[in-house]
Amino acid sequence: MARYLTHRLLALLPVMAVVVTIVFLLIHLIPGDPVSVMLGPDATEVQIEATRRAMGLDRPIHEQLLLFYSRILRGDLGQSYFLDRPVTTALWERAEPTLVLTFSALLVAVIIGVPSGILAGAYRGSLWDRTLMTGALMGVCIPGFWLSLNFIYLFAVQLGWLPAAGYTSLFVDPMATLRHMVLPAVSLGFNQSALIARIARSCMLEVLQQDYIRTARAKGLSQQAVVYEHAFRNAMVPVTTVIGITMAILIGGAVVTEIVFNIPGLGRLIISAILRRDYPVVQGVVLVTAAAYVLINLVVDMVYAFIDPRIRYE
Amino acid sequence: MSDMMQERSQNQPPDATAATARNRRPRWMRRLLRHPNVVFGSLIFLGLLLVALFADTLSTHKPTRLFPANRLTAPSVQNYLGTDEFGRDVYSLVLHGSRVSLIVGGVTMLLTSLGGVVIGLAAGYSRRLDPVIMRFMDGLMAFPAILLAIALMAARGPGVWNVIVALSIVYMPRTAMLIRSTVLSLRELDYVQAARALGRRDLTLAYRHILPNCMGPLLVQGTFIFAYAVLAEAILGFLGVGVPPYVPSWGNVIASGKNTIREAYWVSFFPGAALTLAGLSLNLLGDGLRDTLDPRLRVQ
Amino acid sequence: MKHRATIRTVALLVVFLFALAVPALAQTPKKGGVLRVGMLGEPPALDAHWTTASITETLTNHLYEGLYSLDENYRPIPMLAEGMPTVSPDGLTYTFKLRRGIKFHNGKEMTSEDVVPSIKRWSQQSIRGKPLFALVEDFRAVDKYTVEMKLKQKSPIVVISLAVPGNFGAIYPKEIAEKFAPQIKATEYIGTGPFKLAEWKPDQYIRMVRFDDYKPVSERPRGYGGGKTAYVDEVRWIPVPDVATRVAQMETGEMDIVDDINIEAYDRLKRNPNVRPVLIKPYYWLVAVFNKKEGLGTNQKIRQAWQAAIDIEPIMKNVAGGRPEFYRMDYNLSVAELPEWHVKIPGLPWNERNKEKAKRLLQEAGYKGEPFRFMTTQEYKWMYDFALITKQQLEDVGFNIDLQVVDWATLVKRRNNPKEYDAFTTGIGMGAMYDPTHHDVVSCGWPGWTCDPEIQRIQSELARESDPKKRYALWEQQHRVFYEQAPVIRYGDLFGLRAIRSMVKGFDEKTERVRVYNVWLDR
Repeated sequence: MARYLTHRLLALLPVMAVVVTIVFLLIHLIPGDPVSVMLGPDATEVQIEATRRAMGLDRPIHEQLLLFYSRILRGDLGQSYFLDRPVTTALWERAEPTLVLTFSALLVAVIIGVPSGILAGAYRGSLWDRTLMTGALMGVCIPGFWLSLNFIYLFAVQLGWLPAAGYTSLFVDPMATLRHMVLPAVSLGFNQSALIARIARSCMLEVLQQDYIRTARAKGLSQQAVVYEHAFRNAMVPVTTVIGITMAILIGGAVVTEIVFNIPGLGRLIISAILRRDYPVVQGVVLVTAAAYVLINLVVDMVYAFIDPRIRYE
Repeated sequence: MSDMMQERSQNQPPDATAATARNRRPRWMRRLLRHPNVVFGSLIFLGLLLVALFADTLSTHKPTRLFPANRLTAPSVQNYLGTDEFGRDVYSLVLHGSRVSLIVGGVTMLLTSLGGVVIGLAAGYSRRLDPVIMRFMDGLMAFPAILLAIALMAARGPGVWNVIVALSIVYMPRTAMLIRSTVLSLRELDYVQAARALGRRDLTLAYRHILPNCMGPLLVQGTFIFAYAVLAEAILGFLGVGVPPYVPSWGNVIASGKNTIREAYWVSFFPGAALTLAGLSLNLLGDGLRDTLDPRLRVQ
Repeated sequence: MKHRATIRTVALLVVFLFALAVPALAQTPKKGGVLRVGMLGEPPALDAHWTTASITETLTNHLYEGLYSLDENYRPIPMLAEGMPTVSPDGLTYTFKLRRGIKFHNGKEMTSEDVVPSIKRWSQQSIRGKPLFALVEDFRAVDKYTVEMKLKQKSPIVVISLAVPGNFGAIYPKEIAEKFAPQIKATEYIGTGPFKLAEWKPDQYIRMVRFDDYKPVSERPRGYGGGKTAYVDEVRWIPVPDVATRVAQMETGEMDIVDDINIEAYDRLKRNPNVRPVLIKPYYWLVAVFNKKEGLGTNQKIRQAWQAAIDIEPIMKNVAGGRPEFYRMDYNLSVAELPEWHVKIPGLPWNERNKEKAKRLLQEAGYKGEPFRFMTTQEYKWMYDFALITKQQLEDVGFNIDLQVVDWATLVKRRNNPKEYDAFTTGIGMGAMYDPTHHDVVSCGWPGWTCDPEIQRIQSELARESDPKKRYALWEQQHRVFYEQAPVIRYGDLFGLRAIRSMVKGFDEKTERVRVYNVWLDR
């Protein structure tokens, strides 16, 4: 087990190196630069050049790349051009909304998805099953951002029950945070809940076909007992790993949700950083997101390997 | 957004019985046509295809024609689905938007399949190239798809072709991994090794034995990639980094309606509904194809 | 009977008196409270010398002051200077006296040793400082409260350049002005303004608190200048990039003032008893600027064809969300709010809506349908709006328009490169209009490169001539040449919208930019 873990961790390093280089090259391919944005519309070309030189932005790209690498290795993500502070600080300040959103969406996804899937699987072919699975299908097909807009229109504009956008910090007013999170979390989580539901259902079905279930039934246990005591727990195992993957996917989906609901998180930061050509911030956000993604996948694989010994020996 | 669990199982090697799948063609074809998901999905998709082809005839107005005096009017007899802020007819925009979606989805699907096959074969066959390719693919897949697409589009600028290229780059690793795992597993099969011993060239082997066995999973995955690409194009358009904003596309129209959602909900509503329909057809198709072509994944 | 009538009369009288008294009571400003202002975005800097960005302009005008400011008619009035400067008979030496006892936020007194390095720093980076100081031979301190400027030649723009509020000659303490090179933005913020910076959390908020030792000019508030009193304890400037959110936050009471909101919100806000929508007048006049260095834009007949083809009113109406109060048709290279430079010249080829003439001009130009690269952005929605409608109108007369929609950063970069475009969209705001020599549209150095010799000759004359009557005549002449040459296509005037809560009092609704000194909360 330890060998597998070490093996996987080592494999991580070159992946991260690739990620870092891709990010860097990508960002520098974008035309325009931060200086012309910051100096305002009336700046002359001469001014822009002078400022660019003063900020060290005119050095050749391979030099900048090497500088970037050396900084990364020291844990220094650089200084934001626009925000006048270290990128790490900028990221830290915006981490809370994104994390709250991602976790809330995950909660929604699990709370809706798992019971639906289990129930549908347990009572296969029933009306429950058909309704829930149709719902799941719609959940997969309805675009999250469109759902967000419809939610805003219905609940915020027409009914006025919930705020249309914005965010309040947990540390300031948790009730307000809750109110602001309902629509974004539901629209983001609904999509994922559908996937979880379908997988939970198929896992449930697979488990229900196993021999030990037939034995339990033969022993005379009620359907409920069969489902809850035996099938459910065993079906949950692969579902747990799906939940891990869902976390990773939500990170990406959070970007659009943050834009629609104007939540000041990492997603909105990266969009505004791209528009302002604030390279260090873009690199920082993508790096952190990719690292999180990779790590979550690693954890999921670990759990998989832990549960299923066959994988370890591949 | 991406059905990674399903992808994971797809990346596992098909069992040996799949090697004889070719002989069962008539049977699974029949099964295909009987499967309700496949039937429904194909019908809706066909409908979309027809709409895209005949968008000009079916439209009531030229979708790009502005009627500035006619802004934000509600659905009526003149404008079935209302007008947007420039007075463009939403109905015509939605019909024409299907073209962009289908083109982006289709070409992306083709490119990722082709690219994925080439890369996957290379990785599967060459022990030297494999680790390099794998690291690179892992690196690409480490990005949430949308972020990578946004960054690529910002670098390349707006345009349909740029969207296709960006999305192909984003989705290709998945196909490559699928092909690679197929190659790896089949390489070890007895009859393949025997053929090699007899002097058959690798390329021929690839063509005759490996590729046919990939067809099924490739098609299934291709269908889902089509769906992701359609959605991704709309998201990019919505964020303003997709096809140019004056080109009729579902994402663009939804975006233009976002700020006037109070006064004119119809602008954002109808293209979104169209998107949902397109997604529905592709997901149904994908589900159905997976059930019929990949029996080990069949959900009862 | 008589009793009842008397009682009724008395009652009415009491009510009447009360009605008179209540507004009188409400007029006394109350001190205290936190004012929350929702802005369009995050400022790139709080260094007034460094950038022309409008958000920076708004914010820095609360923290810093310059030697002069502008009154309600946009004419220079003294701010940190004591009165207008004394000018020598030959017009080459300007002596400025400074006000005494002005404190910086860090307690230090402002003297000439702060003014000289500040203005010098400003002169090297700023858009109005550089051209001014090209004419300056020397700028030095005479004594603690006097500075002197020696010019190489007479100029009419000395005081106005020191008075414009955007990218202005803010006075910093000597230590800060000398610490940061002009090309690097200053990251320490000490000024003499009525508010001082308490906290800056980028993308979250900027907090300013009242500066208790502020010494106002002893007169009533006048435009951007005059007496300033900080009634509120704190101002919180909050960047809210999404316009729908800004509007929503005004309605829910989360914001007290929101700036730059979309015109569609006007009706809804007007119906809300707690909110008062305010027209931002003037805002921008819309222009399409031709690349006159290379490409299709160098062909005068093509430019004239564009000018002849467009029908401006429906464009303005659409950009203004269908509301007539939000636009104004005008051909002036200035705005009606600046009567000093507003001309009346009938018969100019503006808004001719003459498709035949346009087609004829295109033919004469030898235009063969080559793609005309027209650059715009969606980040300023009104730019995209007028570009799209223009494209259709031009294509109806035979132009082949390649509309390139990019983000603002790319547009600003590309418009400096003559190979990358044929025309771009932008808006001209007050910052370019305070003096005819400030105008970008007739500037040879600004993107688009309006280097026509006749136009430049008139601009140089304007820079030299001091007699206001003669300058006005020159400016009229410039209009005629401008419309003949068509270096830039001038559309109409667009107005903007902001909103304030009804309990916010004392807000000057006439200024182009938000100013919250003299504002108080009636709670």
